[in-house]
Amino acid sequence: MSSAAAEPDFDVIVVGGGPAGSVTAYLLAQQGLSVVLIERGEAPGAKNLSGGVLYGRVLDEVFPGFAQSAPVERRITRHVTTFLTGDSSVSLDYAGGPLAEPVNAVTVLRARFDPWLAERAEEAGVFLMPGVRVDSLLREDTPAGPQVVGVRAGDDELRARVVVAADGVNSFLARSIGLRPQPPTHHLAVGVKAVVSLPRTVIEDRFAVSGDQGAAHAIVGDCTLGIGGGGFLYTNTESLSVGVVLRLDDLVKHGRTAAEVFEHYLSHPVLEPYLRGGEIVEYGSHLVAEGGLEMLGQIVTGGMVVVGEAAGLTINSGLTVRGMDLAIGSAVAAAKGIGEAIAAQDVTATGLAAYRRHLDESFVVKDLRTYARAPKFLERPRMYGAYGELAAGLFRDVFRLDGSPRKHLAAVARDSFRRSAVSVRDLVSDGWAGVRAL
Amino acid sequence: MKIVVAYKWAPNPQDADVAADGSVDLGRAKWAVSEYDPVALELARQLADATGGEVIGLTVGAAGIDTPLARKAALSRGLDRLVLVADDALDGADGTRVAAVLAAAVRGIGDVDVVLAGDSSVDVAAGQVALTLAGTLGWLGLAAVSAVRVADAGTAGLVVERELPAGTAVVSVPTPVVLAATADAVVPRVAGMKDILAAAKKPVEVLSLAELSVAEPGAVLTTLATAKPGGAERTARIFDGSDAAAAATELVGALRQSGAL
Repeated sequence: MSSAAAEPDFDVIVVGGGPAGSVTAYLLAQQGLSVVLIERGEAPGAKNLSGGVLYGRVLDEVFPGFAQSAPVERRITRHVTTFLTGDSSVSLDYAGGPLAEPVNAVTVLRARFDPWLAERAEEAGVFLMPGVRVDSLLREDTPAGPQVVGVRAGDDELRARVVVAADGVNSFLARSIGLRPQPPTHHLAVGVKAVVSLPRTVIEDRFAVSGDQGAAHAIVGDCTLGIGGGGFLYTNTESLSVGVVLRLDDLVKHGRTAAEVFEHYLSHPVLEPYLRGGEIVEYGSHLVAEGGLEMLGQIVTGGMVVVGEAAGLTINSGLTVRGMDLAIGSAVAAAKGIGEAIAAQDVTATGLAAYRRHLDESFVVKDLRTYARAPKFLERPRMYGAYGELAAGLFRDVFRLDGSPRKHLAAVARDSFRRSAVSVRDLVSDGWAGVRAL
Repeated sequence: MKIVVAYKWAPNPQDADVAADGSVDLGRAKWAVSEYDPVALELARQLADATGGEVIGLTVGAAGIDTPLARKAALSRGLDRLVLVADDALDGADGTRVAAVLAAAVRGIGDVDVVLAGDSSVDVAAGQVALTLAGTLGWLGLAAVSAVRVADAGTAGLVVERELPAGTAVVSVPTPVVLAATADAVVPRVAGMKDILAAAKKPVEVLSLAELSVAEPGAVLTTLATAKPGGAERTARIFDGSDAAAAATELVGALRQSGAL
C-alpha cells in the first residue's frame, strides 16, 4: 500500500441512490459500518423514471411491514395477461386473495419511494450525499493486484475500504474498469413509459379494484407492431403507468422508433378505454437489460462490488418484469458479503467473493437460472385455452414471489396438474406439449 | 465582518402541476435552496474571504425545512454556520411576516454588518423580503446588487455596484446594510464531496419562534382572487413552407414590417 492510502474516509462508499444502493447502505450501517451514499440527482429518486411493480417479499424482510409505512401506491391483487391482434384481444385474468396477503406485489412511484428508502438509510446513520456525480474510480496497485480504493468527483477524492457500484443499467463505474462489456443489443431493450393521471374512482371502476388494491396488465402481440417485446399497464393510486418494452435489435430491424410504437400502443382500441380522459404527467424512456443470467457479469473485483441493475439483474419472463426485487436481493447479499470481508480484513476480490456466494444462494441467481432456460413459455398462445383450476394454480405460483427459490415452470405446472381436480389424460398431453416447448 | 445570508428552502416550480384553471400544485415538487440564493451565498463567501469575516446562513419556514439534506445543501455552499427558525406556524407565511422573523433572528445573532439575499424566491418571486427586512431592522436596503467589496483603506463601509435600468451605479455604502443580489451577479460554486462532508460538521443553531421577539405585522393581507398570467398577444402567422425560398423571403419581409429586423 502506498502512503497515500492512509485512513479511508468511510468503510464503504455506495454510488447510486436507487433501491439497490439505499438498501445496501442501510444494511451496512446497521452492521455499524460508516457508509456514504452518493447520488447524482439533487435528491434520491430525482433521476428516476416513473415507477414500477415491486415484488415486495424481499423488502419486507429488510423492512418488516414496509407496505404500511412506505409510500406504496397499490397492492396488486389482479394480474391480467392480454394477447392483442389488430382488433381483438384474449385475456387471462388472475385475481385472488393469495396475491394480497401477505403483500406480494405493490406498485411504487420511484420519485416518492426512493427518497423513503434513502431516509431509512440516513436514519440508520448513512451519510447521504446528493447532487454529486462520480467521475471515476480511484485504483491502486497492491501486492494482491489492482484494488479500487475510492471515487473521484471533480477535484475531490473520497476513500473507502469498499466501493459499491449501484449506478444503474448503464453502470459507468463497472464498465470503466472492464467489469461489464457493452451488452449486445439483443440483450438490451428500450422501455418507453408514461404516467397518466386519472381520478381514483375512475381507476377503481375501470380496473375493477377497490381500496388500495390494484391491477397489473401484461400485453403482448400487436401492441408492439410485431417487434419483440411487450406492453404493460398498471395502477398507481391516482395514475396509471403505461408503457412498452422493445428489444433494441428488433426495433432497429423494423426501422421503427420507440416513440412511434408507443403512440400506436396508447391508441390501440383495447388500451384506449383504460386511458381515456387521462393526462400524461410524466414521459420518458429507460434502457432495460433483459438477458437474465447471461447479463450477470463479473460483479466482484478488488475493493468493489456491483449490485442491482448495474450488475445486469433484471428478468423479463414475459409476464412479470422484475428489477427492483432482484436489486434488493442483491443488496442483501452484498451487505452480508461486504460485512464479512471487512470483518476478515480482506477486501480483495477473494474476500469480497462472499457477496457472490450469498447471491448464488439467494432467490436472485436461482430465479435467473430458472428463467434463463425458459423465459418465454407463457407468451405461447396455446396456453390460452387454459383450464380453470390448472391455470389459476399455475398463475398463482408464477406470480407469487415469496422469496423462496423459483421452480422451473415445468415443475410449477406439474404441481398444478397434481392439485387440479381436472386430471384427464388429454389435458396432460395438451399441457405437456406446451411445457416441453420450453 | 459578520455576514448573514438570508436564503429560502423552497419547492422547485419546475416540478409543479399547473391545472387548466391556472392553479398551481407544488405537492410533488422537490425542495432545494431557492434558485437565486446560491448567488448571495457566493458573494458573501467572497466578501468574507477578503475581510477575514464569518458567513452565517439564516432561513425561516415550516418545520419541514429542517432536514439533514436541507442543512447540508446550504452549509456545503460556503457557510461557516447555520441559524434556523423552523416552525409550522410559518407555513405559508407572507413576505412581511418572513421579513419580521428574519429581522428578529438577525438581531438575535447580533453585531451583523451585512445581510445578503437573492433577487427573489423561486416559488413566490415577489422580490420584497430583503427590502422589507431592511425596513424592519431600520437599516439601509439596496436591491439589484451585482458586486460588493470592502471600501479602500481609510474609508468605512462597503463599495457596492448596482445594475439599474439607467446603467451601472457604484456607490459607497455604510454598514449595517441589507443587500439583494442580481440573479447573475456571480457564478456560485458547485458543492464538492469534501464541502458536503465538511457541511455535516458545521454548527447549526435552531431558534425557537416563540422565544424570538417578532413584532406583530401592522397589516394582514387577504388574497381576494388569483388568476393566471394573460398570454402575450401574438400574431401567429403561418408561412407555407412548401417553397422554402419563398417562405424565407416572406418571413424576412414580415419581420421587417413588424420592426423586429
